[in-house]
Amino acid sequence: MSIRPVEFQILLTLAGEERHGYGIMQEAARLSGGTMQIEAGTLYRALHRMLKAGWVAESGRRPAADLDDERRKYYRLTPLGRRIASAEAERLARLVGAARANRLLTRA
Amino acid sequence: VRDRQIAWWLVRTYPRSFRDAVGADLADALLDRMAARHQAGASRANVVLRALFDTATNAPGAWGQALLDAIRDRRPAASHVHDGERTMIDKLRQDFQYAIRTWRRRPGFAIVALVTLALGIGANTALFSIVNAVLLRPLPYAHADRLVTLWGKTPSNPQSLISYPEFDAFRRDSASFDALAVWLGNSVNLTGVSEPQRLLGAFASGSFFDVLGLKAERGRLFTHQESEPGSVQPVVVISHEFWQRRFAGDPAAIGATLTINAIPLTVVGVLAPPFDVRSVPSDGWFLGYDVYIPAGHFPVPGVAGQGTGSGGLMRAGPSMLSVGRLKPGVSIASAQADLDVISRRLEAAFPDAQKGRSTQLASLQETVVAGSRTPLLLLFASVGAVLLIACVNVSNLLLARAVDREKEIALRAALGASRLAVTRQLLVEAALLAGVAATAGLALGRWSLQTLTWLRPPTVPIPDRIPLDSTVLLFTTATGIAVAVLCGVLPAWRASRLDLNHALRAGFRRTSSGGGRTRDVLVVVEVALSVALLAMSGLLVQSLLAAQRVQLGFDPGSVLTLQFRLPASKYQSPQQIARFFTQALDRVRGALGVTSAALVRRVPFSGNWGDTPFTIEGADTAPASAPRAGQNMISPGYFQTMRIPLVRGRDFTDRDDLTAPGAVIVSQTLARVAWPNDDPIGKRLKVPESPEWLTVVGLVGDVKHRGPGDLPQPQLYLPHYQVPLIFSSLVVRTAVPPMRVANDVRNAIWSVDKDQPVWTVRPLEELVSSSHGPTRFLASLLALFAGVALMLAAVGIYGVMSYTVAQRTHEIGIRLALGASGSRVRRDVVGRGLWLTAAAVVLGLIAAVALGRAAQTVLFDVTPTDPAALAAAAAALSVVSLAACYIPARRASRVDPVIALTEE
Repeated sequence: MSIRPVEFQILLTLAGEERHGYGIMQEAARLSGGTMQIEAGTLYRALHRMLKAGWVAESGRRPAADLDDERRKYYRLTPLGRRIASAEAERLARLVGAARANRLLTRA
Repeated sequence: VRDRQIAWWLVRTYPRSFRDAVGADLADALLDRMAARHQAGASRANVVLRALFDTATNAPGAWGQALLDAIRDRRPAASHVHDGERTMIDKLRQDFQYAIRTWRRRPGFAIVALVTLALGIGANTALFSIVNAVLLRPLPYAHADRLVTLWGKTPSNPQSLISYPEFDAFRRDSASFDALAVWLGNSVNLTGVSEPQRLLGAFASGSFFDVLGLKAERGRLFTHQESEPGSVQPVVVISHEFWQRRFAGDPAAIGATLTINAIPLTVVGVLAPPFDVRSVPSDGWFLGYDVYIPAGHFPVPGVAGQGTGSGGLMRAGPSMLSVGRLKPGVSIASAQADLDVISRRLEAAFPDAQKGRSTQLASLQETVVAGSRTPLLLLFASVGAVLLIACVNVSNLLLARAVDREKEIALRAALGASRLAVTRQLLVEAALLAGVAATAGLALGRWSLQTLTWLRPPTVPIPDRIPLDSTVLLFTTATGIAVAVLCGVLPAWRASRLDLNHALRAGFRRTSSGGGRTRDVLVVVEVALSVALLAMSGLLVQSLLAAQRVQLGFDPGSVLTLQFRLPASKYQSPQQIARFFTQALDRVRGALGVTSAALVRRVPFSGNWGDTPFTIEGADTAPASAPRAGQNMISPGYFQTMRIPLVRGRDFTDRDDLTAPGAVIVSQTLARVAWPNDDPIGKRLKVPESPEWLTVVGLVGDVKHRGPGDLPQPQLYLPHYQVPLIFSSLVVRTAVPPMRVANDVRNAIWSVDKDQPVWTVRPLEELVSSSHGPTRFLASLLALFAGVALMLAAVGIYGVMSYTVAQRTHEIGIRLALGASGSRVRRDVVGRGLWLTAAAVVLGLIAAVALGRAAQTVLFDVTPTDPAALAAAAAALSVVSLAACYIPARRASRVDPVIALTEE
């Protein structure tokens, strides 16, 4: 099963906590250092696909009441989604290792 | 607030399933993002555009996904169940999905087929809507099926007007009619207002309203008695539009006075518009007038004190149109017999006026639409042919695919699939094609209809509004079904009688004869149809050219024409009228840019014309059998202004007035008829307008007056000042473009009489050119359809030849390997195509001649066998088909024998 960059990014934002859609968009921007912005349509197309594939699911739980935006649906990773995300992360890590070995990456 | 709306609109562009799952959240996210951008100081346009862009890049993908899901969701469900247990709906759904999948795999095929069929069905829907509105729908009057028109009939003229005494006799003595009326449309002058106006008036008997079932919206209509010449009342009924325009819908209009043709008339009522007149082909026939005036006020030329109820109408001769409503159960034939008896009695009682006159009845529908029938049916037939060609193409494509799939089909059949299943699948695909195309075609047809009514010249009698009624919907549905059958039946039939053994044994090698004969027939049919269409439009173009080449007998270039009518009450005596005319002419001639000007009662090609009986001195003829001549009243300088050649004698001069002896100028045809062997100058003749003999003073060339199709007709000209009439036209030859002097000419007339309405100010060339309007319109539409047909036929030939070559690749490879040259192969392929084309051209030309015969009435000066038109059509098709064959032929000659043979 292939995974697209935008899907990986979404899985990444959900790895730490459950978020609603706009939360995902903000977190994705933060994680990429502002270089990647996911637009709403792109996000929900990917989310819709991942919901159907069972990578993510709607969350029943809500965050603390003062933080809750009650209109919104929160999404969480499913165990399958978590496995896929870590598999992709490992694949990327190997690639980064290879890049470093070939002196494509100089820092860290 | 507005951003929220935008977000929701954007969400709506996503498919339903998507919206149900995440739509609300998407809207929120869009909104949050927009708000964030606003806060970051982005402009509103920027914010909205970026949201739009995001949607535009994602919504199509979501749709694709939804479609894929829909197909995927259903497929496994169907395959789980055993074939025998599936319901018909299941089977059809599977066929349907199969068709969709096939289209997705080969979108080119689906798009070509759909576009072709949609265009074909669209054109047919548009044309049928017109045919329906004009020819099929009953006229929207009450008891329209019982309405008839009455025409005066003489040996020389089968359709002339009815005289008031005739109408009176029929009304009194005939038992066939519920109601009978006369009316005549005539322009009238409205004065006593800031600017004098020309109105469209109808002089009608009171029974007119009764015959047509018209009602008053306000006030009342006038009665028959109020309209009769003996007892006519000063009343007038106005139309709803005129009431709105002139009185702004004020109820006080009832009782107001309108001075019409210098007679003060009291408005007694407003006619209720019975229906939308723009949707009726008889638009302007009965309705569309501004004012309805009692017939007794009809201005009768040459009768003093006209319009005051003096009974001038009783002596005016045939001057009115007549319409009646038959009693229920009375046939046209029996009413006709009834009228014949009365006509004979009238003839016996008034031999002078009535000799040779009888009356002809015709159904109103027939009278109104007769002229439109041939052109409309011709156009309808041509779009039908285009659709047929489109069907043939699509059928060919489906057939080619069915042949391609023979092995698969045979295999499925061998494994137990019923042949019915295979046939059904092909039929379902055809039905799906037809259904989608019919829906698109309906929309396309309605839209093109709008365009068509914009483009049509005003002289083409198509209603402005063409209703979309159940008949049209039914027609489009039926067309869709016919298309499905035409496209699907041949391939399905072929698939159902497939020889399994043969197909399976053939292995991978394609059979070279598969479907060949059927496809050849289809190609011949479509090429023949397009030849026929091309030839027919060629005939029409020839007609148009012939009409434009016709020698008119005058020079319409740089001539301005306008019409006016003097109020009869103000210009009572002939001297007054003559004085106005001479003064006005002098002023006009003095205007800048005017070379010459003259008065004429009836301008050629203006639609006004009239003829008169005449007697030749010394010839002994009964009044009823007197020869007739087109008659015109002109001022001096008319022939010079119109550049009509003066062959012999002289033009009229200002001295040919009421005090001088009567003078007349005749045309060459009249001279030839009246004095075949003599010099006409100095001969004398008599017309009803003047009591004394008129001396021929000049001989001029013949002129086409009503249209380019006029047969040479005797024509005579009387000096305007000897027969001064209140209405006239002005022709002005100019040194500059005619419309540029229009204002000066108008002012010149107003400087003599400021109360003088002036209308139809138009260049003469425009009048002449608009007489070609209907032919030009018909020719361009037909040329358009023929062009489409030609294109489709080319695609059809190309498709079939390409397919044949592809199928015969193996065989061609063998021939090339055995030493046949490339050019030999090329010749073979092209030769086969040309042979088919030749057969089709012969059939098409035969069809074209038959079509031309049937539509003879729209042709002008061209025979249906016109060699130029037929040859051009044949040549065009031959060139196109040669080109369409050549490309596949070249491909065939370049077949690599090694590849072709190893393909097995």
